[in-house]
Amino acid sequence: MVSAGASSLASPDLSTRVGPLRLQNPILTASGTFGYGLEFAERADLHRLGGLVTKGLSLEPLAGNPPVRIAETRGGMLNSIGLQNIGVDRFLSDVLPGLKDLPPKVIVNLFGYAQDEYVRLAERVDPYEGVAAVELNVSCPNVSKGGIEFGHDPDVLSGLVRRVRSATGKPIVVKLSPNVTSPQALGRAAQEGGADILSAVNTFVGMAIDTATKRPVLSTIRGGLSGPAIKPLALRIVFDVAREVDLPVIGIGGIETVDDVMEFLLAGASAVQVGTALFRDPRTAERLVDGLRARLRAEGVPSVDSLIGAAARPG
Amino acid sequence: MLDVQALPLPYFLLRARVAGMDPAEPGQFVMVAGANRPEPYLRRAFSVYDQEPASDGSLVISLLGKVIGRGTEALAECVPGERIPVLGPLGTGFHSVADGASTSGRAALVAGGIGSAGLGLLAHALERAGRSFDFFYGGRSAEDLVEAETFRRLSEQTGGRLVRTTEDGSAGERGLITTPLEEGLRAGTGYTTVFTCGPHGLMAAVARIAAAAGIAGEAATETPMGCGYGACLGCAVTLKNGGYALCCRQGPVFRLEEVAW
Repeated sequence: MVSAGASSLASPDLSTRVGPLRLQNPILTASGTFGYGLEFAERADLHRLGGLVTKGLSLEPLAGNPPVRIAETRGGMLNSIGLQNIGVDRFLSDVLPGLKDLPPKVIVNLFGYAQDEYVRLAERVDPYEGVAAVELNVSCPNVSKGGIEFGHDPDVLSGLVRRVRSATGKPIVVKLSPNVTSPQALGRAAQEGGADILSAVNTFVGMAIDTATKRPVLSTIRGGLSGPAIKPLALRIVFDVAREVDLPVIGIGGIETVDDVMEFLLAGASAVQVGTALFRDPRTAERLVDGLRARLRAEGVPSVDSLIGAAARPG
Repeated sequence: MLDVQALPLPYFLLRARVAGMDPAEPGQFVMVAGANRPEPYLRRAFSVYDQEPASDGSLVISLLGKVIGRGTEALAECVPGERIPVLGPLGTGFHSVADGASTSGRAALVAGGIGSAGLGLLAHALERAGRSFDFFYGGRSAEDLVEAETFRRLSEQTGGRLVRTTEDGSAGERGLITTPLEEGLRAGTGYTTVFTCGPHGLMAAVARIAAAAGIAGEAATETPMGCGYGACLGCAVTLKNGGYALCCRQGPVFRLEEVAW
């Protein structure tokens, strides 16, 4: 047993357990904001990340939506990329070998147009040791007949997760949509289906209009809002989901500073994903790892674990 | 950041010393933002207009800008000594310079207004390589030809010349810059390559003219960018083959015939 004084000088323990996953620290990169990771090895120190969530992968490569795909907004941006990706097979053959021996856990984000496709994707990645978990994208707002229909109906969602559950032994993360009345109800449905972890939240559906052309900015009219603008909204959902669903939660939504990370941990997240902030600075995630360590040391907090959910406990 | 030179409004020239940055190839760009500003949220893409190595091993880059919104305003308001974030060099520059291919024959450089920023390093590279070029510089008004004297000097050093047009006739011939380009091609000036940077309509017109004349060419394109380094996939450019390319990775320079203008 060390004294409080000594523990404030020791290096805080940043490792965190998220269900079956053990991460070296609670900072991950969010799906769709850092490609497949490997292609940015020169712009960021991948070794220092807690985990890396790939761009959403589908069975076949997808070209994505026509331009215009993004619109800057106050405190963030709208995107409608349309799930452009290289396809699951190319990821497994060309990218995963370069990632699998790095310290960050590789979480593969999967996206299908039909339940069968999710099942086949899960079967495809299941044999690969380098895949630490799968994250089901059931909440992308940018594909017309897309995953969002799976993420908005509790019965459909629990059925989908159940089918994926039977296809893989990997931990299953279900990424929740914020565009529903009760994300926690969808979280419970995911749990019933056999999910191990929830990640919350995906982008908020929004739009922007060009006042010069008097037309919507995005080619798809609607897009997903991300960035600091959504942080309080996302934080509220993480707080509610963490309290009401008995699954570990990964917090996502406008995280850019150490305070943001702390808030999500205190709200009940066991880890966080950093997304849009990477567009401003590819080194945001590793900066947050350093910043979090310094902050815990300065406050004499011995471990990340001791913060998780503290704001939900009676003061 | 060394200084911001106020050019005739709304133009500015920002010089920054960047430690550890590799020199940019002609057509490459950097992502920059004003100092310590939470807004606008995303960085802005700027062509490297000029560059020189500093004695301490860092690189001094010049960015030619035009204030058109919050991002460019923030940069124009930088004060000397402020530290600003710079990410780069980024993107794929002019292929025919990088490849060392088609480096013979006269070139036509066609700039529309602030598009001249995208042709600065190229003009220097051609001048150093001893390749002759004419510089076609079009704008709405005389003040849009903000770097005319630089391009006059560079083109004349190669035995070429500066050709100016303005829509209001305040400098050069009145009209669009594509008119003297077409006249030059008809008159048999012997251009083998055309390079362009400017508004979409100008680059599309240059692509048509080059195709009609049977000469090769490249355009330094621009789209709204989220990150500039290939992460956000937001800067899609539609290609003639029906696919998309990222402006920040495969571009910003594309062969004229590749792009669905």
